[in-house]
Amino acid sequence: MKTKFTQILKQRYYLLFFFSLLVQQTYAQQQITISGKVSSVTGEPIPFANVVIKNTKNGAVTDFDGRYKIEAASNQTLIFSSQGYKTIEIAINNRTTVDASLEEDAMKLDEIVVVGYGSQQKKDLTGAVSLVKAEEIQKRQITTVADGLQGLVTGVKVRGGGRPGQEANIEIRGLKNLQSTNPLYVIDGLVTSANRDFNPNDIETIQVLKDASAAAIYGSRAANGVIIITTKKGKKGPLKVEASAKSSFTTMPKYSLMGTEEFAKFNNQAYDNAGAPRQNLNMAVDTDWQDVVFQNGMINDYNVSVSGGGDNSSFFMSGNYFGNKGTVVGTDFDRISFRVNSSGSKGIFSIGENIAISNSKTDEMSGNPIIDVYRLTPTIPVYDASNPGGYGYGKQGVADTFGTNPLALADFANTINENFRIRGNIWSELKFTPWLKYRFNFGYETSFDSYNFMRKLGNWTLNQPVEKSFINQNKGRSETLLYENTLTFKKAFGKHDFTVLVGQTFQKDNYNQIYGTKRNLLINSGTGSYYDVLDLGDSPEVGGFRNEAALTSYLGRLEYNYDNRYLLNAVIRRDGSSRFSDDNKWGNFPSVSAGWRINNESFFKSEFIKDLKLRASYGELGSGNIGNYEYKSFINTFGTVVLGNGQGLYPAATQVRLSNAQLRWEKLKQSNFGLDLGVLNNDLRFTADYFVARTEDVLFGFPILLTTGNDGGNPISNAATVENKGLELELAYSKKINDFSFNASINFTKVNNKLVSLGNGQNQNIQDNTITRAGNAVGMWYVLQTDGLFQNQAEIANYKNADGKVIMPNAQPGDIRFKDVNGDGQITNEDKDIVGSPWPEFEMGLNAGAEYKGFDFSMNWIASHGATVYNGFRSVVDRFDDNSNYRTGIQPWTPENPNTDFPRIVKGTTLNSRGDTDRFLENGDFIRLKYIGLGYNIPDSVLKSAGITRARLTISAQNVITITKYKGLDPEFSNSNIFQRGVDNGAFPNLQTYSFGVEFSF
Amino acid sequence: MKKIIVLIAIFSGLFFTSSCENELDLDNPNAVTVDQYWKTETDAQAGVNSIYAMFYKDGLWARWMYFRLDLTSDEGFSNSPWTELADWTRFNYINYNFWEGQVVTWRDTYKAVFRCNQVLANVPNITFQNEDDKKRIIAQAKFFRALHYYYAAILWENIPLVLTPSTPADLPEQKNVTEVWAQVEKDLNEAFEDLPTSWSAEQTGRPDKGAAKAFLAKVYMQQHKWSEAKGALDYLISGAGAKYSLTSNFRDNFTDLKENNSESVFEIQFGDQKSGGTDEGQSAAVSSNRAQFFAPRGIGWSDGQARFWLINAFKQEKNKDGNLDTRLRYTLYYPQLLADFGDKVYGKNWEWGNDEAWFRKGSRDYYRNNEDYYSQVNYRLVRYADILLRYAEVLNELGNTQDAYQYVDLVRARVNMNALAVAHPEIGNDHDKFLERLKTERVLELAGESVRWEDLKRWGDLNTQASVDKIALRDPDFKNFVVGKNQRLPIPQVEVENNPKLKQHDEY
Repeated sequence: MKTKFTQILKQRYYLLFFFSLLVQQTYAQQQITISGKVSSVTGEPIPFANVVIKNTKNGAVTDFDGRYKIEAASNQTLIFSSQGYKTIEIAINNRTTVDASLEEDAMKLDEIVVVGYGSQQKKDLTGAVSLVKAEEIQKRQITTVADGLQGLVTGVKVRGGGRPGQEANIEIRGLKNLQSTNPLYVIDGLVTSANRDFNPNDIETIQVLKDASAAAIYGSRAANGVIIITTKKGKKGPLKVEASAKSSFTTMPKYSLMGTEEFAKFNNQAYDNAGAPRQNLNMAVDTDWQDVVFQNGMINDYNVSVSGGGDNSSFFMSGNYFGNKGTVVGTDFDRISFRVNSSGSKGIFSIGENIAISNSKTDEMSGNPIIDVYRLTPTIPVYDASNPGGYGYGKQGVADTFGTNPLALADFANTINENFRIRGNIWSELKFTPWLKYRFNFGYETSFDSYNFMRKLGNWTLNQPVEKSFINQNKGRSETLLYENTLTFKKAFGKHDFTVLVGQTFQKDNYNQIYGTKRNLLINSGTGSYYDVLDLGDSPEVGGFRNEAALTSYLGRLEYNYDNRYLLNAVIRRDGSSRFSDDNKWGNFPSVSAGWRINNESFFKSEFIKDLKLRASYGELGSGNIGNYEYKSFINTFGTVVLGNGQGLYPAATQVRLSNAQLRWEKLKQSNFGLDLGVLNNDLRFTADYFVARTEDVLFGFPILLTTGNDGGNPISNAATVENKGLELELAYSKKINDFSFNASINFTKVNNKLVSLGNGQNQNIQDNTITRAGNAVGMWYVLQTDGLFQNQAEIANYKNADGKVIMPNAQPGDIRFKDVNGDGQITNEDKDIVGSPWPEFEMGLNAGAEYKGFDFSMNWIASHGATVYNGFRSVVDRFDDNSNYRTGIQPWTPENPNTDFPRIVKGTTLNSRGDTDRFLENGDFIRLKYIGLGYNIPDSVLKSAGITRARLTISAQNVITITKYKGLDPEFSNSNIFQRGVDNGAFPNLQTYSFGVEFSF
Repeated sequence: MKKIIVLIAIFSGLFFTSSCENELDLDNPNAVTVDQYWKTETDAQAGVNSIYAMFYKDGLWARWMYFRLDLTSDEGFSNSPWTELADWTRFNYINYNFWEGQVVTWRDTYKAVFRCNQVLANVPNITFQNEDDKKRIIAQAKFFRALHYYYAAILWENIPLVLTPSTPADLPEQKNVTEVWAQVEKDLNEAFEDLPTSWSAEQTGRPDKGAAKAFLAKVYMQQHKWSEAKGALDYLISGAGAKYSLTSNFRDNFTDLKENNSESVFEIQFGDQKSGGTDEGQSAAVSSNRAQFFAPRGIGWSDGQARFWLINAFKQEKNKDGNLDTRLRYTLYYPQLLADFGDKVYGKNWEWGNDEAWFRKGSRDYYRNNEDYYSQVNYRLVRYADILLRYAEVLNELGNTQDAYQYVDLVRARVNMNALAVAHPEIGNDHDKFLERLKTERVLELAGESVRWEDLKRWGDLNTQASVDKIALRDPDFKNFVVGKNQRLPIPQVEVENNPKLKQHDEY
């Protein structure tokens, strides 16, 4: 019996390979032997490429080194083709050596796309699926996969930051619910998360499923989209070793803040204006807190992999170390990860596994130094022996500020998180017949989490109460078990091509934790250091809990292709979740999509248009993204009360949090209309998608009335309806001219978010300066409007409403004039109005690259237009009623300096400083060079003698050019609060990163 | 071999298919559900205890209540560098959703009410061995519901009355303050019936009949129902509940050394056993933060301090021995404390302004030099001296000024002050003069004990511009006071916006 190596992605080509061996023996007897090498433009050999003699069925397949041998007549023509490359024809012309250099086909219509429990060719896709080249992600210096997607995919918005171990927020096609925007990650078939434990270097391919029909097969957690990651696998051939090292330097953007002398001038002015005695400023001190707290960071990323394979088996192993010393003192992230996968087959049976083990350790940032560097004034010394613990901070009458000293906080309140994670799956397949396949997949993920917080004795802020030292540790373990059974039927009947998949999955998650606290820790009298174990100390406190959830699903999918012209894809999924009550546990979620490949129609004759496809889809997805036991009410038994002459503790218990018993599935209904177009021999490609995504019964805990006495979190309810409409365009061009090739693509995303209704009988939800109101996007700016400054008393007296009432009688020249929106003759909260949107009108990405001989160059630009953002930095340093450091170059109003937009500065009154005005709203537009890099492949001629097959040097930079009017640290900031996405309140900025890398393989 | 693997694969698949639907019924292994609770006497007991835990929350008597009742009144003020916090003690209410002492106080009030309502709805269905125990639990819940509504009515006046356990979609109706008082009276009268005359030593701290009558007196007096108030006070002074006496040492009412003493009518029990926050977690504190927030700069947060006129008020009259009123010593820290009485401030010499003063009641300077969030000193919410002075006030209002003297004298005699008639012979039987003097007597005895705000309201001193102007001479914060508006707080705006049955006060 013929054995086959059934690695999914390459399956077709092995078949061809065997087929070609057979035909060779039969027909090619008395002709000349031609040999040669098939390689890519960059010179890399292309294994398993097809070499066919034109107008015959004779052919050969290249070996691991791209070499082939074929017998043909000397006047015949050879056709060279390989997946992902453009096909070329070369006449033999009596030669016995014919080498071929294949140009990459940017359109890649034959590319295999993993779509969940199966795969399709790109040309057969009917849903909105984006493919990302792994190397585009890997070339950047990133902590998580999400960081690497920024600007590469239409409809995918990424916002990250440079804190060590920081995980970027990712949002696919707008805000579709109100809980979390993170998509589902599927890594080698395991439903999981690609958090900071995951090594992005292991990625082979990555696909983003954006619309409901594409994601439908993943059902209940796919509402935010799905990111499918396939990790690298071993290939047939001799042992291959790859090693890479990349080192990066990171630098922190800085505020432009005042030194002591300038600070004192303005601080005194603010006190003078208030008629208050000046502070007794310590002029001898001039601390640059940014110098003290910020430092240059360093990232080291080392990666080694070994892979290989034979006819019936393959393996891949990799190891990675990622170390990131932060740009803020006392922050650090270290990750060690290993990955092993292998597979083998015998007869109709094949089996394989993927296992990834990682350990990551984060020294978390304490407090928020990004804010403290400007809340602390330059007159405060870094160290002050008169304070408990010896660090400097605010002092009443001298430096009146509650800013915290970041060094003290890092010293006295330190958090370390450590996670050890094993993530993997084992699968087996039985191929009963060529058209019927059964697959069982068992996925397992477990994480051992350790949290360690230590509070040492010592203070970090003015007026801080004495607190005992204590240590708080917890050990948690999460575990996910996934069982999947799928049966795939795939058969063509004439022009009718069917693939039918039915399956059943069951997933169980549990997390348990124990925690303990001890106070009054013992100090080693010799070293002065604390004992950081729970044995030592008093007032013990322990606890623990366990959370469990289960999800059971049945799924079915029909793929139908008629004559490569008409494509149909239908999915039905039935989900049952433990998170809903018995009445509401189950939900059914259908989807259907269709495609029409117009270019394959007989009436369609165009040399110009090589590819034209129309797509349409509609689908429903359920989401149950809530806590495990939300539909039930519980008794809180933690309470204790003091009673009795002995003042002892007595137990107390009561219901604290309310709940809604009638929770049901949140439902996303999404339609997508798409067009794929390839012209000029597919050199120029265009893809457009328009979508409407409406989420009903959105599960969210809106605040309920305080008169309910509810506490401990708002009860979840099926409250709101949210709608996102969007347009995604992508235009790409690539061309090769002799040794020079280049490519460029531009992508455009526009998403209109709208809250259709808030539910619960509520009209609006106000959070700080944002309002979420039916009919508008989530989190619109809701503030008072400023209208210049009063220049003199007459302007104040003349500022009246229609009834002649003086609106701001207590103002003084130099104060802000606020608009009396409701015309009642006074400035109150009633005058707040919607004045702007934190949502960009559109976002764009521009990616370009070029290759010449061994050199390659690439860059990514991103741009965002139309968002209004709140500058939290300015709302602190420009207020003056409370002390902080100030921006250099400000020109506050004084009688001598009236031509300014900066109001009179006054200590202690909130009139000019109130934060709920449009004064601190800014244009959030920016254009940023996200990545620019240069690589050099050392020529084969140099390498051969060293036994190295490939060597590459890279130099790159990230976030080096930013064009913006925004006055904060970084316009590309992230805020994980869904209602306050536009508030930059000490968000950790993206860092300028300069990287050097080397890669070898042998 | 191959067959075995195939069989295993198929059977494992089938196994999980059939078993997994049952797996969807998961119970929370971490907590008792509400429908499993309220079955036993133990449940009822822990349930009613949870109401006491509300005293430890920052919205109520752990922290912010003192900002509302003590600092907003003319006894205290805030010089906090946190401008908005200070603004809320001087009638500069800009953001009606200010959390500290406004929204959280409203929220915690209704949290307490929710706990009372859970007991009142569920405990009647529980079978008890001894029916009296059940009645006492229900009576406690009624007492506390009345107590929390009483203070909410003092602060906001027209509020929703929630009398049954809450559900998420509730939209309770706003009631006029008279209806709130009526409900408070009803609950207290019913509580009085079933509360014991006293509790056993291990149950000290629970309200008894006397506590119920004391709060009844308070609520009647706020409505000027003087004869009903007298009836309630009679119980404590001469009736079946007349078990109280003043402690010989005035300071015993403000330390943790003599808690639940003979003068205590109702006392909030604080402890320092827990070092957590004011949340609902396992380590939640059972303490008062007041001393930390009121202690002088450099010792505590210094967010609240006393008005200097208080010192002058104490110094108006010497005691029988010609010395200063000793109540001054234990009521305030002030610049001459060391000179007058030989006391330092938490071991420090005076280092604050010459016109500054700080509250001393409840401080722990008698054994430590600093404060923290975990003060164990009980708060005497109602003590017998208050009752005696109230009795005098009620008698004066009922036209029986002559009888009222003796009760004022009891309070004065404890601190060696002359009889009122001797010290102030000009008062005689004049109702107005007696009341005016009584206002001072209440300050001297009760300054910083959270009664001044309700006193000012009861006396009508906040109702006319003339009387407010007089107060403003003592406390310039009252220059901001708008008559007809600032006698009550704005209702939290977020509640008004989301409850169509709740209206903001017209003046706000």
